[in-house]
Amino acid sequence: MTTPGLTATVLADLRDLQPPVIAGMLMGGCAAKLSRVLRAGSLDAGLGPTELFPLRLRRPLAMLMCAFELCLGLALVVTLFPVGTRQGVPLFAPRAATGARVAAAAFFLVAASALIELRARRPAVGCGCFGDLSTRPVGLRSIARSAVLTVAALTSIDSPAFYLPPRGRGAVLFLGILCAEIAAIAVMSPEVGEALVRLGYSDPCELRRLPAERTLAALRRSRQWRRHAGAITADLPVDMWRELCWRYVAFPYRSAGAGAEVVFAVQVKRRRPAIQSAVVPLPAAAPAEPAPDVAPARGAGRHGALGAAHGALGSGRHGVLGAGRHGAMPLSKAL
Amino acid sequence: MVAQRDDLACCVRCAGAATADRLARRSLLKAGVHPPAAGPSPGSVLTGTVLAGTVLDTSPQVITLYCGSGETRLALTPETSVWKGRRADPTAVEAGDSVVIRLLPRPRGVADRIWANAGRVTGVIVERDPDGVLVDEGRTTSRQAVVIPGRAASRLQVRFPRLEPGYLIDVIGLRTRGYLEALIPATSQPIYRAGEAPAPAPARSHVPASIAGSATWHEPAGPADAEGVRYPALDPESACLEQPLNGSACPRLPYLSVGSLLRVRNECTGISRVLPVSGCAAMAQVFCDRCVTCGTSPRGRIADLPMATFVVMGGELDQGCFNATVSMGQVAMGQA
Repeated sequence: MTTPGLTATVLADLRDLQPPVIAGMLMGGCAAKLSRVLRAGSLDAGLGPTELFPLRLRRPLAMLMCAFELCLGLALVVTLFPVGTRQGVPLFAPRAATGARVAAAAFFLVAASALIELRARRPAVGCGCFGDLSTRPVGLRSIARSAVLTVAALTSIDSPAFYLPPRGRGAVLFLGILCAEIAAIAVMSPEVGEALVRLGYSDPCELRRLPAERTLAALRRSRQWRRHAGAITADLPVDMWRELCWRYVAFPYRSAGAGAEVVFAVQVKRRRPAIQSAVVPLPAAAPAEPAPDVAPARGAGRHGALGAAHGALGSGRHGVLGAGRHGAMPLSKAL
Repeated sequence: MVAQRDDLACCVRCAGAATADRLARRSLLKAGVHPPAAGPSPGSVLTGTVLAGTVLDTSPQVITLYCGSGETRLALTPETSVWKGRRADPTAVEAGDSVVIRLLPRPRGVADRIWANAGRVTGVIVERDPDGVLVDEGRTTSRQAVVIPGRAASRLQVRFPRLEPGYLIDVIGLRTRGYLEALIPATSQPIYRAGEAPAPAPARSHVPASIAGSATWHEPAGPADAEGVRYPALDPESACLEQPLNGSACPRLPYLSVGSLLRVRNECTGISRVLPVSGCAAMAQVFCDRCVTCGTSPRGRIADLPMATFVVMGGELDQGCFNATVSMGQVAMGQA
């Protein structure tokens, strides 16, 4: 910031920006990997250069890499702080800062080499740098990004402690350089396109998961429901099932003294679903479905019914599982 | 509702009469709001072309078996082929064997193919033993012991190199008292553990009305299970416990429910049937494999048929699969 020429100022700002940018990349990569692990429910969900190793080593290597990224990112941030608050004061731990930056350069150098190797040996595998966002096969952009970050880490070895840019032109220049660098990294990151696609992505209706509560809530707000509400004899549906883009909900119904059921077809859609209805008489021999003993209040009924249903399902699940596991014959005995 | 969902905890396999009536009524209720297009409705699948039962007596010319309709006598010819762990003579069939028999269309009452004591185990290995493995087939099915005889070990190891806990297995063999003697690999083992299956790619467009893939078979768990088809993608909100394992590299299948009608077509023979969904094919989605019975099918198991239905549709039990297409729903998709 203190050099007279614009070029020198830009270069100095660029150098000073590298530690926080690299730290952000490392911690972002770690967070994306952790989110993938949480969604997959397993640490073993392999992707990236760990695919090059034998199966038994993949899990510890994936854990090690994620932990290393986090620690390195934190180290880069922590060692960035100065001993004072004024611009130009030295780092409080210059040796540690240099160590962290050299380690970051080495990390990205190894990463670039691993990606080249992965591209040659397993061309269909994604780099896994940012978890699920990095599922595309490793391309030149990913390799170039690692190489550029290696150079960035090397240039930052002598960068000073963290400081706020001076107000006015200096701050604008600083922010401009930051934005330009982020844009350059984004261009080299195939993950950005994937993330944008996911942000705007909506499942086709036949694949969409929608809680039954939302279907019932939409139904009870609808005109079709109000039209039939007076003749519906139970607060809880006797049946609910789904086919493709529609969820069907059936209620017992009073129709001219005879037993019947009203069925609502509710579109599987988050907002303003289409709703259709029909009254279907019960077969002559079949008695009407008994209404629940206690009809709870409307609001409570919705949550109560589903809560109880989940409870019943849950208890059944544990029961079956428990019985299955305990009841299973050990292989040695079975044989 | 609560009772209904609880009854459906293990789908039609353990549903009572009331639940069966309720499931049967779904198509009627659905027709009230979405009238179906004209087409064949589901009927009894076993229409005299295939018999399944237990052998009571056998001779070189005649086999007597007990099946659902009572005692039945069938003629055997020199051309009648028998599978009992391997290709064998009709004399290999013994009293007490469980058989699935495909009949010749003409003359009537003559056996064409016999599968004796055929069994299959598809699931996740939970325990390894020097003689075999213990396999978890799903939440509502008891664990299956699989014995790997020495004569079949090398053949199985080629297709299933990792017989270790956590890995998948799918083998066909001889069902004996309490365990399966594995003889034939039904597919190749996925390289990943069951819990490591890669996440499916996001679907960019609506799923077509007909989906091609692989149809497999299973040993039915009861009379209700013997009449339907297990489907891998039941609605998680209203389905049973037999939810598929998480994750799969295969394309996602549209959600259906127990009782939904599915038209299954064998692309190798051209035979098709409309079948009700009877439960979840819990393991189907993690086996993202292809069937190569006639050409190469797209990846993914799309239907799991009871063994008799599989034979009715022209499948060979010892082959394990046929190239299939499933069509679903007379309601037009793509409206949301």
